[in-house]
Amino acid sequence: MGGAGFSGPVILEAPSDPAVLSAVRALTDKICLAAGVDPAESDKLVLAVDEACTNVIRHGYCDRLDGRIKISFTVEGDRLEIEIRDFGRGADPATFRGRDLGEVRPGGLGMHFIRSAVDTMEYDWKPGGGMVLKMVKFISKQEKA
Amino acid sequence: MSVSPQVRKVLLPIFRKNVSHIIVDLKDVPYIDSSGIATFVESLQLSRKSDIRFSLAGACQRVESIFDLAHLKSIFEMAPDATALIDGEPAR
Repeated sequence: MGGAGFSGPVILEAPSDPAVLSAVRALTDKICLAAGVDPAESDKLVLAVDEACTNVIRHGYCDRLDGRIKISFTVEGDRLEIEIRDFGRGADPATFRGRDLGEVRPGGLGMHFIRSAVDTMEYDWKPGGGMVLKMVKFISKQEKA
Repeated sequence: MSVSPQVRKVLLPIFRKNVSHIIVDLKDVPYIDSSGIATFVESLQLSRKSDIRFSLAGACQRVESIFDLAHLKSIFEMAPDATALIDGEPAR
């Protein structure tokens, strides 16, 4: 089964509580590996999902613990799509824009980590509230072998 | 995200004490996120202002690769283990 991917989406739903992020990271790693992602790339995707969830908790739910975060993983051919949906206040992604890496100062690294992990990413506002972050990682043939 | 506020709370006050070198032992830290890194960048800035040496020791490969991804690996003094740094300290 390893490296063969999986049929249909795998969906995780978690509260907007930082205490559950370690479980989300562990599950993300297992799912990415099952999708055929190379372990080093899986580490980067774990970081990306973690940072995206952190943004949701901070900006979407303003550190409230009772919000919901839905994370779905879909594999189609060599394409792994990860969607992170929240039902919060719909923050402006520009407010969590990354900083110039040449500057040595705290903060602003989360978006850089997300961009480094994936091939494409886009935010969208959802009718009725909340946002969705769609990230796509192409799994190379070498990774799938 | 859940641990770094606690680390910050413990670490930053040490810079106000009469110390010459602060070593953070990361050997039992399997993972770090941007908020953890931000705490260490803030510490590094304080160390420069207060002329206190600041080092990170024992980072696992995964943690080190996250510093690398942030282009910060060469900014910090990083050692394979804390003992080597302590042994290299002049007696006070």
